Amino acid sequence: MSYQEKQNIVNIFSGLLITGIYAILVYQRHLRGVFDLTEDFRKWGVIFLIFMGVSIVARIILYIIFHIINAIATREEKLPIEDERDKLIKLKSTRNSYYTFSGGCITAIVWLALGMPVYGIFVAFVATGLLAEIVDNGSQIYYYRKGV
Amino acid sequence: MVKSKIQNNIRKLRFNSGEMTQQQLADEVGVSRQTIVAIEKGNYSPSLELAFRISHVFNTPLEEVFTYNSETP
Repeated sequence: MSYQEKQNIVNIFSGLLITGIYAILVYQRHLRGVFDLTEDFRKWGVIFLIFMGVSIVARIILYIIFHIINAIATREEKLPIEDERDKLIKLKSTRNSYYTFSGGCITAIVWLALGMPVYGIFVAFVATGLLAEIVDNGSQIYYYRKGV
Repeated sequence: MVKSKIQNNIRKLRFNSGEMTQQQLADEVGVSRQTIVAIEKGNYSPSLELAFRISHVFNTPLEEVFTYNSETP
């Protein structure tokens, strides 16, 4: 398995892990009555901003851990160079990711028009964002294995 | 599997160049070994620039390194 494939698998699991843990923590605070996410939309903004910061820091830490473990296991310290094939794969995967995110947003808006509560759109953003990331990394794994 | 209509003789040319390894060719043309593997297998069609760089390494005309097969579905 190539370095890029391993990195994408780590990205998928770290995305699921970070989003899952953060969502559980926020939901528990909501259940305890610390804030009401069905009414307080300003709080959603704060939650999203904190999530961005937490996610970036957690990913950097997980990436460093992955790189150390990979360097020990494969005895390759140098990162592979990014060439034209890597760039093309990233481009196509990002396109798939945008399609997924756009589709999720449109679906959420349609649901909103059909009577879904307003807070549902924030939940849809989180779910669609996570799905788009999985599609991005999953597409990269697919293109690396099957060709582009 | 995404098979390219562009076929190549890189494996044969490497063999004729004193069993040049995929890594050596990759280093010469400035790409990763995985990209050379993908090109040899027909899973990736290189850019025109990379195709020229590969042909220059073997000192061979481009059309002898890469051929276009329009009959491939």
